[in-house]
Amino acid sequence: MARSPALRLVGRRLGAAVIVLWGVTLLTFIVMSTLPNDTAQTMLGLHATPAQVAALNKALGLNQPFWVRYWRWLVQALHGNLGTTLEGQSVNHELAIHLPVTLELLAYALVISVALAVVVAVLAARRPNGIADRISLSVSMIGLSASPLVVGIILVIVFAVQVGWFPVQSNGLGGGLGSFFVQGTLPAASLGFPLFAIYTRLLRADLVEQMQREDYIVTARAKGLSPWRVLIRHALRNSMFTLITVIGLNLGTLVSAAAIIEVLFSVPGVGSDLLTAIGNHDSALIEGIVFVFALITVAGNLAADLLYAVLDPRIRHGSTNS
Amino acid sequence: MAVPTPDAVLLTPGGPPALPSLLVSDRRIRAQRFWRGARLWIPLGFLILMLFMCFVLPRVVTLPSPTNGTILDGNDALFTPGHWLGTNNVGVDTFSQIVYGGQVSFEIGAAVTAIGMIIGCAIGIPAGYLGGWADSLLSRILDVLLAFPALVLALAIAEGLGPSEVHEIWALSVFSIPTFGRLARASTLAVRDLPFMTAARLSGTRGWRIIVRHVIPNIAPGLVSFSLLGVGLTIILEGALDYLGWGIPLPEASWGQMIASGQNIMSAQPQYVLVPSLFLLVTVVALNMFGDALRERWGEA
Repeated sequence: MARSPALRLVGRRLGAAVIVLWGVTLLTFIVMSTLPNDTAQTMLGLHATPAQVAALNKALGLNQPFWVRYWRWLVQALHGNLGTTLEGQSVNHELAIHLPVTLELLAYALVISVALAVVVAVLAARRPNGIADRISLSVSMIGLSASPLVVGIILVIVFAVQVGWFPVQSNGLGGGLGSFFVQGTLPAASLGFPLFAIYTRLLRADLVEQMQREDYIVTARAKGLSPWRVLIRHALRNSMFTLITVIGLNLGTLVSAAAIIEVLFSVPGVGSDLLTAIGNHDSALIEGIVFVFALITVAGNLAADLLYAVLDPRIRHGSTNS
Repeated sequence: MAVPTPDAVLLTPGGPPALPSLLVSDRRIRAQRFWRGARLWIPLGFLILMLFMCFVLPRVVTLPSPTNGTILDGNDALFTPGHWLGTNNVGVDTFSQIVYGGQVSFEIGAAVTAIGMIIGCAIGIPAGYLGGWADSLLSRILDVLLAFPALVLALAIAEGLGPSEVHEIWALSVFSIPTFGRLARASTLAVRDLPFMTAARLSGTRGWRIIVRHVIPNIAPGLVSFSLLGVGLTIILEGALDYLGWGIPLPEASWGQMIASGQNIMSAQPQYVLVPSLFLLVTVVALNMFGDALRERWGEA
């Protein structure tokens, strides 16, 4: 059966993604079960008798061997049920409340950083080594080195404490678009600035390379198009593929950063939820959140891979040969 | 993370590429040479200064204690005699905290990077060199580690093992290992089929000897310049772990913990939170610039 190379690529990548996801769930389980298991003790408090602890362990199924617990969790997860938290709520419910907050924050951060990065990279690539290029390189160097934590602190001091435009802590991102911008801008900017640096650097490097090396740029120039037009309509279009890939690859690491930012600004997202869960040894919640994080990471990587293959004819050609 | 930077970005040239030009004035060449030197020596000089400050200074000069102070000295402003970066609300000297916290940051950064480099190479080089099923298996393991939110694993390990410097090192190594592993694999792949490798194989050199004598020396420069970025990244993550309270146990000083405690009095006394934040930022900028300059000289990883 002659299948299209694109389909075969999709199949292969999908297979790899599933394996990676499975590996992540297994690894989470291994980590959680090698750690000292005092869930029952934590729930019952210091004065619980060993018999009570044992009984609760039995009730929670924590006395079962590792593989039995993992298998039970896996079967449940495949049915869409991620278990119950220590407080007795379903993990799905917890995620349904907190995940949208985190996703909104991430989306906002991504939009800000990509939009700014495109503008700055185009300005910089117009004249490599020019003044705009040098400024953008310095700013992006700072951005690459700045942790969201430090960016967040500085933004809070400047824009919340000194100027007072935004609140120091944003409790919830709900309540209409206006409130979303007021509450969400500082956290999103803290997350977005390092991303902006990464994207700007990458996009600028790619644009400069295209402008210097590619034949179609020469053609476009020979047609008499203005330099800006060549840059934006021709080079930028192609460089966006690279950017899309990096955004996809980067998604997973973003979630970790979101956790810190959520704590800093007390945003009630999955990140701060996760930290609480780790503090409480709430295995089911940790496993559920890590699973979702990994799902986002793997989906991002997969989407980046596939988009790249579908959009860029050169890659598609390459994959047929491999 | 800290937003962990994808390899692709770390491997894009930092400085502007040299434009092809035949007519370059003498002055311009000299200026270029000057800036090329400056890009290497300014960050390197700063790093040497920082290392000196953190590791030599406290052994030569008697600094105020980084963990104890008297409340009589509390809330000193910047540039107070005896406490030139001020003190916190219970009178602990800020500069001492920076010095001792910096020691911890550099130690952890170096240790985590070294562990990542050694174990990452032990996974990545065989994967790249052998190819085939070994490569598939090892690459999948690295993929799983990379898809795993590093901070989560680090936090879970830190929580499970309890706060201490050694535990923090192991927790953070979990993400440095796959990063180095992937880089080592990619650079091994790049040199595997070069003519000198074929020559080595044809002349009867085998297995380990090729890896030790030919692969490692050729991929080392790239790995070393990348490792500087790795140290920076680790310092950022270490700060995050300390900030969240899962890092260096109190009362020992660490930059992240200083940020966390400074955050509570941010509006009244922003310097408590600004001083460690700026040290963290500038140190990592210097590490990244130094790494960039090395890559400019030694070529890509």
